[in-house]
Amino acid sequence: MSDAVAQQIEEQEPEVDLSLANSVIDKYIDLPGNLMPVLQGVQDEYGYIPRVAADLIAERLNVYPSQIYGVLTFYAQFHLKPRGRFIIRVCVGTACHVQGAPRIVETFFDKLGIGHAETTPDLRYTFEKVACLGACGMAPLAMVNDSTYGSMTVQKVAEIVDDYNQRPLK
Amino acid sequence: MVNLTIDDKQVTAPKTATIYEAAKLNGINIPILCHDNKLKPFGACRMCLVEVEQMKGRQIPACTTPVTEGMIILTSTPDIVKARKMVLELLLLNHPIDCPVCDKGGDCDLQNLTYEYKVSANRFTDEKFHHEIDYNNPLIERDMNRCVLCGKCARICDEIVSFGALTFIDRGIETKIGCEFEGALNCEFCGSCVSVCPVGSLLARPFKFKSRFWALTKQKTVCGYCGTGCNLTLGVKDNKVLTTIYDDNQGFHKGQLCVRGRFGYQFINSDKRLAKPLIRRGNSLVESSWDEALELVAGRLKSGNVAALATPRLANEEIVLFKKLMELSGSKDYDHSAGYAHSALTEGFAKSLGATASPSTILDIQKSDLLLVVKTDAYETHPVVGFEINMAVKNKGVKLYILSDKRGKLARLPDAKTLLHTPGNEIALINAVAKTILDEKLAGASAGSVEGFVELEKGLSAFTPELVSAQCGLTADEIKQLARAYAAAEKPLIIFPVGLAYPGHNAEMASALANLAILTGKLGVEGSGILCMSEKNNSQGAVDMGFYPEAGAKNAIQILDGCASGAVKTLFVAGENPLVSYPDQTRVRNALEKVDFLVVSDLFLTETAAMADVVLPACSFAEKEGTFTAIDRRVQHFKPAIQKIGQSRSDFEIFSTLITLLGGRAPVSPAAVFAEIAAGVPGYESMNYATLGETGQFAKVAIKPVFNSVSLTASKAESGKMALVTGSALYHCGTLSQYGEGPMHVCPEGYLEISRTDAANMKVGNDDLLTVTSASGSAKLKARVSPRMPVGVVFSPYHFSDSSVNQFWSGAAVTWVTLAK
Repeated sequence: MSDAVAQQIEEQEPEVDLSLANSVIDKYIDLPGNLMPVLQGVQDEYGYIPRVAADLIAERLNVYPSQIYGVLTFYAQFHLKPRGRFIIRVCVGTACHVQGAPRIVETFFDKLGIGHAETTPDLRYTFEKVACLGACGMAPLAMVNDSTYGSMTVQKVAEIVDDYNQRPLK
Repeated sequence: MVNLTIDDKQVTAPKTATIYEAAKLNGINIPILCHDNKLKPFGACRMCLVEVEQMKGRQIPACTTPVTEGMIILTSTPDIVKARKMVLELLLLNHPIDCPVCDKGGDCDLQNLTYEYKVSANRFTDEKFHHEIDYNNPLIERDMNRCVLCGKCARICDEIVSFGALTFIDRGIETKIGCEFEGALNCEFCGSCVSVCPVGSLLARPFKFKSRFWALTKQKTVCGYCGTGCNLTLGVKDNKVLTTIYDDNQGFHKGQLCVRGRFGYQFINSDKRLAKPLIRRGNSLVESSWDEALELVAGRLKSGNVAALATPRLANEEIVLFKKLMELSGSKDYDHSAGYAHSALTEGFAKSLGATASPSTILDIQKSDLLLVVKTDAYETHPVVGFEINMAVKNKGVKLYILSDKRGKLARLPDAKTLLHTPGNEIALINAVAKTILDEKLAGASAGSVEGFVELEKGLSAFTPELVSAQCGLTADEIKQLARAYAAAEKPLIIFPVGLAYPGHNAEMASALANLAILTGKLGVEGSGILCMSEKNNSQGAVDMGFYPEAGAKNAIQILDGCASGAVKTLFVAGENPLVSYPDQTRVRNALEKVDFLVVSDLFLTETAAMADVVLPACSFAEKEGTFTAIDRRVQHFKPAIQKIGQSRSDFEIFSTLITLLGGRAPVSPAAVFAEIAAGVPGYESMNYATLGETGQFAKVAIKPVFNSVSLTASKAESGKMALVTGSALYHCGTLSQYGEGPMHVCPEGYLEISRTDAANMKVGNDDLLTVTSASGSAKLKARVSPRMPVGVVFSPYHFSDSSVNQFWSGAAVTWVTLAK
């Protein structure tokens, strides 16, 4: 990521209320090995780890900022960019693949106007292709946040997107 | 010790050694990329694979495997050679073969190993990396395309420097070394990462395309900046110092350097160096011959009323000659470091310890179990001592207590306890610690019999933790806890910096701290005691050579006042730049303007030299021979690395000629003067250049502890004003570093550090210009908003000619100032 990209992200980043991060840190500050729970807690609050929150964590936990970034980029669970309110995951594992998952994925791309691991500008959706969700009997499978949608069809993609378009962002 | 067999050779090695270390100790070389003898074993590169018979011929890394009794090790079987070749092939898959334009060529571990293992072709193919090269700072270039991921840079930045600028980012094939959020490197620029990089990923930008490595002559010498006494290897070509070269076997610090030592060498070959003597004619200084200039100076010296100020950057031999010259001129008025910067030694320790030197050494830091550091600035004034503290705390679990008026890098070390007090209250605080030790009967058994004990008890009576804590902004418990921890420690070591910017670190503070050390009775135990860190490369030497006024003679400030009043007619300033570095610029300027005749010998036309009647071009440490005495009285011999620049002469030659002109007999060589020093200076007995060798020798310090009760209270806070504390910036040392391009790249000008709260209240941001006004003057400085400053306290470093602090700082430990936008 170049400086220009970093700057772009910073510009995209909405105003971050650090009191949320501070209260997460307060909770774990005296716990040995507190970096992971703090990072996870902060991500729960914001949906991702804002740069300013990472800097705050570095200062308050007395951990090098570089080290925090190393941890954040090592684990796939951490996100450095704002994520959508609704995370759509479509399985492209073997069972789903033979049941037509690639067409489901293409249809989501068309409907949402974003690609894999991207987020819509209104922060409503983040789309991800995943390897296996562990429910091959329901192939092809999609998930939106914690809701599961089995036996997906192209029509159901439209219905799901229409449904979630109506839901509130907050 | 354990016995083992390496390559059919019976050898022994310490129990704690790894196979790699055991082999090295016994002259067997195992190739490696990710190892440095200062760092913990890591096992990243897989170059050091060896076979151990007991492990069924498996290939195991020598650098992480400890030796055991009876081990039978083979380091270069055909299988191992094959494996190493493959490791190299895999590394060269992604590593660009751009050796012809890589500055590391000739000094590159990967290149050398590729050559040694004849890896002329690669069985694999893959794309090279396309990482952007970081050119964002002027000192360190980061080209991650060449990186072999040995991790040495990230590890040294953590384990020794304790800054943690670099780390591993991402994982798998994507892994690279970088900074947080993949931004530009923004660190201390000590260049430790550059020094250990086995390839050309991290390079010193000032050296880029200056010379091939093999064309450099390597000259060992001693660093000319602070008093730590680090050893340097200069890379020289065509009489120019082009770089510093890392040698991990050099010095107690194993080649570790700070930004000044590593990147501050450019002053030696600076274009600004004076090449010829200058004599004032009317309003301008014009070039003259040495003969003319020296005749003129000799004439003035003969006519009496002479005084001298010298920089403690001069070699011991030169200082001795300068003293002789003053004696010939009939003067006893000579001093250095503004008089007060050596008072901790010459008055404080002289009274309390009966010696003008510290009883402890830098080596004691690693052997101690509790460090009490006065001011976090100890890191900034002597960064390599700071590294030693980092390592002691992080690797050995040494406890760290800091008394400081601001937070700093040391305060961020694991479990460091910082007693953040209001400025100027150090002595009261130290006394309160001593008082607690007495009250709680924690003093050593022998304390009561030490001379001055009764007076100390009486003197401390007012310094109860309760009273002092209120005055310092601490709690009484914090003080008591420190006292208990200090008294309970087996080997407590006190460290405090002194210097031009630290007028509060004076004789009284030295005595107060010495009282603490004497009280617990652990003075003289290895790893414990007290270490006064004087500022410049030969500050301790200047004290040892006695270049300070005896009773009745004028000290630095009195000399300047004498210049103003006419009592001093001729002032000889050797290397000092009082106009910038001494407090109260108005007073200094007035003195230098008034004095009848001013002689300055210096490398540069400094602000002080520009006012002189005669300027003599002196040469740098890299062009002369002599000895420097470090803060812990390690005496080290250095030899010329290059020929003298222009017509410059060493101060040794200048003083010798003048002595001859005054009718004296000048010694023939620095060695001859050192023989006199060995004969006359206590502790230097039996030393000569040959015995000093490369590592130097410690001059012994014989102490006779006496309690010396001191009390000094801070200047009263002035309401509505901020407390200004002066100090050193990490990147600089004295005013000399202004001529080092490296330090000036990263810290080009003076600044005023201000707390976040005060900045928010005043609506001040970084780089906003602030007018600082005190009773003695005012100046404009750029603001630097910093989380380390407490509310109501501001800090400014003193090194800079432009925006120098002495415009509004008159030498008080705490100056009360107002700020305006």
